[in-house]
Amino acid sequence: MSQATVVWLCMPFFFGLPGAFADEKLGDVSDGGRSVSVHVMPLLTEGESDGEGEQIYPDDEPLLPFSTRQTCGECHSYATIRRGWHFNDVEPNVAAGRAGHPWILSEPGAATQIALSYRRWPGTFDPKRLGMTPAAFVRLFGRQMPGGGPGEMVERSDEPEEVLRGYVTGPLEINCLACHDAHYGYDQSEFAVQIARQNFRWAATAASEFASVTGSTAKVPSMFDFRISEVFDDPKIRPPAVTYRKNAFDEKSNVVFDIEREVPNQRCYFCHSSIDAVEEQPEKWQVDEDIHISAGLKCVDCHRNGLDHNITRGYEYECEVSDNPLAASSSCEGCHLGDGSAAPVAGRFAAPVPEHPGIPPVHFEKLTCTACHSGPRPGQNAIRTKTAMAHAMGTLGSNKSVDMLPHIVYPVFAKNTEGKIGPHKLIWPAFWGEMKGSTVEPIDFDIVSSVTAQVINRQDVPRSGDWPKLTDEQITKGLSRFASQVADGCQAVYVTGGRVYKLEDGKLTSAEHESAGAYLWPIAHNVRPAAQSLGVRRCEDCHSTDSPFFFGLVPVDTPVVSAGGTAKEMIDFQGLSRPLKWFFAFSFVFRPWLKVVVLLSSLVILGVVVLYALRALGFIAGVFVGKD
Amino acid sequence: MVSIMGFVACLATMALHFIISKPKADDLFGKDRSMRILDPLRWPILFLTLLFVEQKWNLVGALRKLVFLLALLCFAVLVVTGFVPPLILGKAISGWWLVIHATFSPVFAACVAILAVMWADNSRLDKNYWPWLNRVLRRLPQSNTLVEKYELGRKICFWLILFLALPVILSAVLSMFTLFGTYGQELLLGLHRYSTLSLALFSMAWLYLSVMTEMQKNAAG
Repeated sequence: MSQATVVWLCMPFFFGLPGAFADEKLGDVSDGGRSVSVHVMPLLTEGESDGEGEQIYPDDEPLLPFSTRQTCGECHSYATIRRGWHFNDVEPNVAAGRAGHPWILSEPGAATQIALSYRRWPGTFDPKRLGMTPAAFVRLFGRQMPGGGPGEMVERSDEPEEVLRGYVTGPLEINCLACHDAHYGYDQSEFAVQIARQNFRWAATAASEFASVTGSTAKVPSMFDFRISEVFDDPKIRPPAVTYRKNAFDEKSNVVFDIEREVPNQRCYFCHSSIDAVEEQPEKWQVDEDIHISAGLKCVDCHRNGLDHNITRGYEYECEVSDNPLAASSSCEGCHLGDGSAAPVAGRFAAPVPEHPGIPPVHFEKLTCTACHSGPRPGQNAIRTKTAMAHAMGTLGSNKSVDMLPHIVYPVFAKNTEGKIGPHKLIWPAFWGEMKGSTVEPIDFDIVSSVTAQVINRQDVPRSGDWPKLTDEQITKGLSRFASQVADGCQAVYVTGGRVYKLEDGKLTSAEHESAGAYLWPIAHNVRPAAQSLGVRRCEDCHSTDSPFFFGLVPVDTPVVSAGGTAKEMIDFQGLSRPLKWFFAFSFVFRPWLKVVVLLSSLVILGVVVLYALRALGFIAGVFVGKD
Repeated sequence: MVSIMGFVACLATMALHFIISKPKADDLFGKDRSMRILDPLRWPILFLTLLFVEQKWNLVGALRKLVFLLALLCFAVLVVTGFVPPLILGKAISGWWLVIHATFSPVFAACVAILAVMWADNSRLDKNYWPWLNRVLRRLPQSNTLVEKYELGRKICFWLILFLALPVILSAVLSMFTLFGTYGQELLLGLHRYSTLSLALFSMAWLYLSVMTEMQKNAAG
């Protein structure tokens, strides 16, 4: 080897690793150590014009909020992380995957509840179609968002005023602490408060355990610069101000973050909780957690991701759309049965392999695992549920009424896109729209708000957040007013309860319509213990003529008084023949007789066969001993 | 695929055998019959007629025939509902197919049990078949008595049907109890599938041999 070659080979060691490792940051790749990495580090401000941030010192004036993009991004590739499932909904090239919990715009005063999503889940609407800018979206739903996604689009708008406001409120960067801060003082509800105050830039700082934020950008002028300490003459205008706790900084002006790589369940729960919305609501202590949690698992044991934060959602066919290597083995089947790969992957976390005694295998072709194992045991009527994302649970002053909109109903046993029946949550969309041909598009929500304010008396809107009682006259009045607001060639309609209401020659008519269909999304949690699964006691759990699984009622939710009190059967969502399922269920009445008849028959046949076999043997034996 | 091949092979063998060894039409329908052009119709009608076993004019005879006809009906329904969905429609048996299949199966099981009791004695392979066995073992000269051969074949089929009916019935009914897990259930399903196929093929053979026996008897006058 020549001297020159040796020099070239050694250069990386003298000058640092070039090329492939140039973009890799300190925390991007683990060195294999399983111990916790202590996060003692400087706080960095938001960079100017996407440049690098500057370190925050306790004696800075004014004290600025730290930027997670800069502070955490110092060691972890922010650009890679933002591709993760929780942040990539606005990316047009990301596969939508299985339909999930949408954001739900619910406004009782506008008689509206409508599923929104930037993902292309059928039945949801892109917020843009309601005239909702990313900033408006974040103001509404940022409370339960981990930042990123639309939060980082607030400065990107077609409207100059929106762009200016975006500079004032700041972007809602990915809030790494929302999931990874394990400190008891971290307060996600404070994050929600800051969102309400339009302090997007300050939200993560305010939620952290070592800072507090006062003031709001809501009323500050659009030329406000957060880097300059500014006092306004109007005492009502109090721009955001940060205070860091006295002992937050060490002598090097570093702070300690209590960071957990494996996110604690409590962090997930802030956005992923639900409760049955029934009159006699059980207390938290009366309700068991998911059986996996009771068994000692954490949410992130199954819902895993690497640096790219492409977390596994855990459904059966996820591996077809996800490049997460654990997608196949992180579903129920993957963990409990294996994914069929050469090397066995089942049994992780001591997952038992289910025996399913007495369950014909056809059930596994027709049903999801969750059909029997997840959600509450179905009753004769599907019940309402409240979820953190839809009902702002866990935030300050959240409405605790069971009647609060949106009205989400569950468990609804419906056929999913893969043709299997599983439990779902459901909402009936209710919105004012414009109809062209057979398609219905929602009307810009600002217009809806102003028009409905003239139609629905605010005093008629219940304080509970429930629907106002909407009469046919009010709908007629509303549609008449919307008629001038819709585009040429379109007709104003009101969609609710699976029906489309429209005016024909001035008369209100309604009919069931595809566009008015319910939006359903599958549920997986809480998983009940095997001993409480459907069918564990007897087939009649599902195969009886009044079983909730097929014949349970799903209330059709609507504010329209004249259409109230109706319901659909579960089987309407299963694509099955009702007479067939009823007859099949009815046949189970005779199942014990069938068993007796068949067993007796086989006993008789066995008796005849054995008897004549013995006689034949006797004959043959006789021949051999020379009797005949 | 196995089922299709089994049915095709069975039907083809029977058709071929029938063409080769069918009795002469003159012997069956008479030499001086009119309208010989109708012979192609006479054959299937005779075949069908012979399917309905001889009825003796007493209560047991009537019951035996009734049970046999019922079993025949159930057999036809079970074969259609059990094999058409997977073989022709390409899907697992479910829906109305399953409902009808499950409705007729206990009736079929009961009929087979009753017929087993009623026909077992007549289907004994008793010492009358000893000479035949000796001929097979080449201890006696060959005989061309077709009736004897058909009867023996029919009786062997009868016992095989009874023997196969047990796994067919038990594999179905045991899966309704909480005795077997998924693996066991799949095993039972496989057992049901293949024992049913065998049962169906032997039943068809039994029916064919019964008809041929009667046909030969008729031809012999």
